[in-house]
Amino acid sequence: MAEIVFDQVAKVYPGGNTAVQNLSLHVADGEFMVLVGPSGCGKTTALRMIAGLEEVSDGTISIGGRVVNNVLPKDRDIAMVFQNYALYPQMTVAQNMGFALKIRNVPKDEIARRVGEAAKILRLTEYLDRRPKALSGGQRQRVAMGRAIVREPQAFLMDEPLSNLDAQLRVEMRTEISRIQRLLGVATIYVTHDQTEAMTMGDRVAVMRGGILQQVATPDDLYDHPANAFVAGFIGSPPMNLLNAVVDERDGGLHVRFGDQSVVVPERYRQSHRLDAYVGRPLLLGVRPEDLVAATGDAPGRFTATVTLREALGSEILAHLNFGGEEVIVTDDTTTAPAAHSSRVVARLGARAKVEVGERVELTLNPENLHFFDAESGVTLRGGA
Amino acid sequence: MSVATTTPTSRPAARSQVRRRVGRTAIFVAMTIMAIIMLYPFAVMVLISFKTNAQYLIGQGSSTQTWQQINSSLPVWQELWNSTVVCTLSIAIILVIGVMAGFSFAKLQFRGGNVVFLGIVSAMMVPLQAILIPEFVNIAKTGLTNNYLGAVVVYAALGAPFSIFLFTTYFRRIPDELIEAGIVDGLGYWGVLWRLALPMALPAIATVTVLQFIQIWDDLLVGLLFLQNPNERTITVGLAALAAGHTTSIPLLMAGSLVSAAPAMIVYLIFQRFLVRGLTMGIDR
Repeated sequence: MAEIVFDQVAKVYPGGNTAVQNLSLHVADGEFMVLVGPSGCGKTTALRMIAGLEEVSDGTISIGGRVVNNVLPKDRDIAMVFQNYALYPQMTVAQNMGFALKIRNVPKDEIARRVGEAAKILRLTEYLDRRPKALSGGQRQRVAMGRAIVREPQAFLMDEPLSNLDAQLRVEMRTEISRIQRLLGVATIYVTHDQTEAMTMGDRVAVMRGGILQQVATPDDLYDHPANAFVAGFIGSPPMNLLNAVVDERDGGLHVRFGDQSVVVPERYRQSHRLDAYVGRPLLLGVRPEDLVAATGDAPGRFTATVTLREALGSEILAHLNFGGEEVIVTDDTTTAPAAHSSRVVARLGARAKVEVGERVELTLNPENLHFFDAESGVTLRGGA
Repeated sequence: MSVATTTPTSRPAARSQVRRRVGRTAIFVAMTIMAIIMLYPFAVMVLISFKTNAQYLIGQGSSTQTWQQINSSLPVWQELWNSTVVCTLSIAIILVIGVMAGFSFAKLQFRGGNVVFLGIVSAMMVPLQAILIPEFVNIAKTGLTNNYLGAVVVYAALGAPFSIFLFTTYFRRIPDELIEAGIVDGLGYWGVLWRLALPMALPAIATVTVLQFIQIWDDLLVGLLFLQNPNERTITVGLAALAAGHTTSIPLLMAGSLVSAAPAMIVYLIFQRFLVRGLTMGIDR
């Protein structure tokens, strides 16, 4: 078992296409690190560089303190689980799991012992003599895991291993993989584009975009303190509402204006988010859907909006709301800021909330959980972030 | 009292069933006619082979004499052995080249790979007759026309492009991740080829083997030119020599032709399912 370190790693393909830029990341021994991001963000390339399936253009990758840039994949002592399982169709489950050991001339008894142990952990004992085509998707996934486990490698690399499974099986396998990883305590790098997988499985999550690492943090920290508007918009389902806004100073207090609405900003944000420097300037206001709550009594900072869509999910209702004002959509191109609107939000309401399409509702923003980002760079205005 | 009812859909369903049955019968009749046309020459060959030359000339009677004399009139066993040696060596070379080149084109990225592949595939379009004379000059210069090797080299050169094309198509169907899994598991590219890709390519191997066997076994032209030692003649060359003789026995020629055709037919019948699978490879991509 070992730690994995990326130090200023870059990957540039022939023709100049840069897949990964200046990536520095430390995965501790036994840690479950999730690389997450949209398609083409460089997460799989980063994983393949650790495996030795892609050459490193710049920087170094170390596994267990040894720089492996020029080490052959077979000598890196890592095991990889692929998206489509990549099981050898002509071999049985047991042969698939023991193949890497057989290549290394491990004695047959030892191979049988390790395959037996892994099969027990993965509940595959009764399928050891079957061929992959006679297994279900979930079982194939477990065989792929088993093939990695028997190696007893220094690190596990997993490339979207659940994306070919149906939704229910994916949830089951999520917990299964987490259980096995904790049981074995091997450093694991898990690539996914599914932020739910990232948040539920990872000890820490590294969010990537356009080949650049955006933020590395625990799932809670990532959710509560996103480093930029991209992370804020990517993590969370539904994502954080990002509104084009302007901060004004009136009557000695700060107000944030978005669309035709204006609400008071609690005084503590003045210092924590250095808002004085942004008075009169455009910025992005971030509000999580659960921080838009139905207004009661004469709650300050209330505003009205029209329900345009109601999604009842059983345990909660997602209300898509529109309030007055010109709608501005900031397209997501090369900047770090994601799409932002000035007049549309999604609110997560209780299962019993009485909202109907077309109805006007009164809402307030939870003043404890407001997020402010620079309109140009998308970087959070929170000090010390 | 019971009342028989007819659902509105039952009449069109019955009509379509009749139409289907008529269609099937028409196909069956057409296929039967085709089969008769194809099998007729074989039937004639069999009938004539069971006559003596005299019986053949008067058109009456039957005898097993021709079959009893076949080995003394024609070195049939020696020629069958020669055909087997030439076929086996040629196909072995074709398979080795095809597997290695096919894997390289399908799974290894190298500069100019597509152009080279295109060049090789284009070679499939060149007719044998167009290159026969230069080939003969080249092979004759190396002195290989006096033994099996001359014909083997030519057959291998002619069969390799198709083999490479077929194996490339086949290996392209194997997911890259499978190859990468092998590499991460500890194999090099040679290991991946021999331990993972090759066992998966058995249908392609069978297809190439059968097609090349039939082609080489039945070929006359290359054998006639490149196997000039009478002791190394293949069966088709032997039959051609017999036919060109001054006193040709037609029943003997028919018996020899049947002996010559039998191995190719047996191989085809055994491996025909692989052949269909192999030839349609890549169509479902």
